[in-house]
Amino acid sequence: MTQVGIVMKESPEDRKLEEVLRSSRLAAGGFMGHDNRSVSEVIDADATELSRLGFTKEQVAERMRQITKVAISGLGTWVQVGDGMEGKVDEAKGWLICPWPHKGKLAKRITVVKVIETGESIRWSDLNTHLISEHGFFEGKGSDFRIEPRKLIRTIF
Amino acid sequence: MVLEILVAVTVVSLIGTVLAALLTICEHFIADYGPCQISINDESDVTVKGGKDLLSMLTAERIFIPSACGGRGTCGLCKLKVLEGAGPLLPTEEPYLEKEERESNVRLACQVKVRGDLKIEIPQELLAVREYTCKCVEITDLTHDIKQFRLELIEPTTIDYIPGQYVQLLTPVYEKSDEEIYRAYSISSNPAEKSVIELIIRLVPGGICTTYCFEYLKVGDEVKINGPYGDFRLLDSDAPIVFIAGGSGMAPIKCMLHHMKNTDNKRKTIYYFGANEPRELLLTDLMREFEKQLANFRFVPVVCEPEDSNVLGCEIGLVTHAVQRDLKNATECEAYLCGSPGMIDATIKVLEELGVSEDKIFYDKF
Amino acid sequence: MNAGPEISQAFVVCVSAMFTQNILLTYFLGLCPFLGVSREVKTSMGLGLAVIFVLTSTCMLNWLTYHYVLVPLGLEFFRFILFIIIIAAFVQLVEMVLDRYSPFLYQKLGVFLPLITVNCAILGASLFMVIRDYSFIVTIGYGFGSGLGWFLAIIAMAGIRQKLANERIPQGLQGPGITLIIAGLMALAFMGFSGVLQGT
Repeated sequence: MTQVGIVMKESPEDRKLEEVLRSSRLAAGGFMGHDNRSVSEVIDADATELSRLGFTKEQVAERMRQITKVAISGLGTWVQVGDGMEGKVDEAKGWLICPWPHKGKLAKRITVVKVIETGESIRWSDLNTHLISEHGFFEGKGSDFRIEPRKLIRTIF
Repeated sequence: MVLEILVAVTVVSLIGTVLAALLTICEHFIADYGPCQISINDESDVTVKGGKDLLSMLTAERIFIPSACGGRGTCGLCKLKVLEGAGPLLPTEEPYLEKEERESNVRLACQVKVRGDLKIEIPQELLAVREYTCKCVEITDLTHDIKQFRLELIEPTTIDYIPGQYVQLLTPVYEKSDEEIYRAYSISSNPAEKSVIELIIRLVPGGICTTYCFEYLKVGDEVKINGPYGDFRLLDSDAPIVFIAGGSGMAPIKCMLHHMKNTDNKRKTIYYFGANEPRELLLTDLMREFEKQLANFRFVPVVCEPEDSNVLGCEIGLVTHAVQRDLKNATECEAYLCGSPGMIDATIKVLEELGVSEDKIFYDKF
Repeated sequence: MNAGPEISQAFVVCVSAMFTQNILLTYFLGLCPFLGVSREVKTSMGLGLAVIFVLTSTCMLNWLTYHYVLVPLGLEFFRFILFIIIIAAFVQLVEMVLDRYSPFLYQKLGVFLPLITVNCAILGASLFMVIRDYSFIVTIGYGFGSGLGWFLAIIAMAGIRQKLANERIPQGLQGPGITLIIAGLMALAFMGFSGVLQGT
């Protein structure tokens, strides 16, 4: 069974989804970056990496939500969000729409987390958290909001 | 032998042709929906060629329904009442409609296909929405990530709006976006200048429209906007006003202040503007001028991380703290907020603690 | 012609096409969408129903074309091309009609129709019906049974895959790998049915 076969016989929903993710209809540059793998391959690969690191997507998303919640109280300023960790939330007008076909409208809210000691920082939008918890999707490589599971876990846990 | 081949080829071609003809004929009769009449609010009728979704038909007829997802049925914004002719509710619409909405025939315009005559209801204010072609005449840096864009209207030449309303800016196809999208921005200009629109825009990382405005839009370029939309506006009363805003939330408040100046409004007004650090404050000079021109206006910038705050005469801390410390006679006030949802939620909490009743708090949440 | 025995034969053929001679798991036809569109039960259900419908109708259409056009003209060898053309035209037509007259059915089934045009199970069933020399009534049973068999197989597969989504699968086996293994196991299980019912 070839890759082409799979792509050809995707369900119409999958094909539409893939199309939306690669277009910049919902976010500048789209969600797939320069990643040539199919959406399900991206999801599968990240799921494997995550399980190898010993975490589930629910755990990760839960921790991300916690951090965002704490950081919101800063109203755009840096606040302590954990041991040696600072976080900041930026919000913009409008919504981010989940590309999956369901009711998914999220605030345009970006959380930045910085480990004070190493200076390493990582950012995510509320949509990232949603995509990870609901769809296991960390976005394609090269996308503006791609999140590397390894780096994410190193930073927030 | 030759005959056999000829017969074979003829038969196959014949069957192919018959089927193709059949399909073409069917397509002509089945897929042609003919002219469909859309009756809007029982007042006006438009006639369109059926077969496409209602949202794009209305857009083509220059009736603009807000939509954020470009008609894919994921944002649930393009709701309107379709009284007749929509057919059964589709599975793609179900998740977006509450029970009451379903009962009152609310549908998603982007999912309803025009297959015949329709009867729809559109809120009056949406019918006043027009598309404007403008020329960008000035781009001003307000802070490191906020710019002000001044757009001169070309066609139509004037616009009427209520201070506090917003317009949608069309981002054309450019390097980072392969299709046209609309994003909403509050009008910040002086409403007396009817031939000009000013927008205050903050750069959003990865934002399609803001990236376009900041990196691609040049003075002299043509842009398209449509509007006005929104019901954020000053109430006509004598109660003292509290404005609270942050970042590009300055825009509608600035517009309201211009309007107050134009109408020589003497209401007691105080404006708290929150920022992270002094360099994020914007239009402070203009606000100081308003203080001189308006009878009863005070501007209070609030910064969180002061470096040289003494120079500016700022309050220090979060904007919510400043309101808490500073605001007297809160119970009489009307509060108008514009900013991020986080800031608005926190501010509403503080205001309610101070005794401002819920129906006196108005906000334009991003 | 006495229809009684034919109807009972049609029934037997129908049941055997569903289980012992399942077109998907015994003949491995229509495998592409079976692997590609079996990630969710809901989607599989839509596709499966569309296959049942198209398979039954095209088998009938093709039987008529074969026996009333091709056989009299001695052009049996053209059946491959003609069957495909007829299937394609039929699917197009059904899609058009659904889109116009039943938006609901179109949403549920219509979107899958273009996918079916190139489903080899559809053509396969039409060819088997010719090879096995079924009568018209038996063909109806055979078409319906094959479709139902395909439907059952993809629903079962989708159910299993939905469960698998939360399991830890070795990296090399993820996606198509594990799916093919499951398909193999399912095929073995379906073969077990032949002990229950001797196919025709």
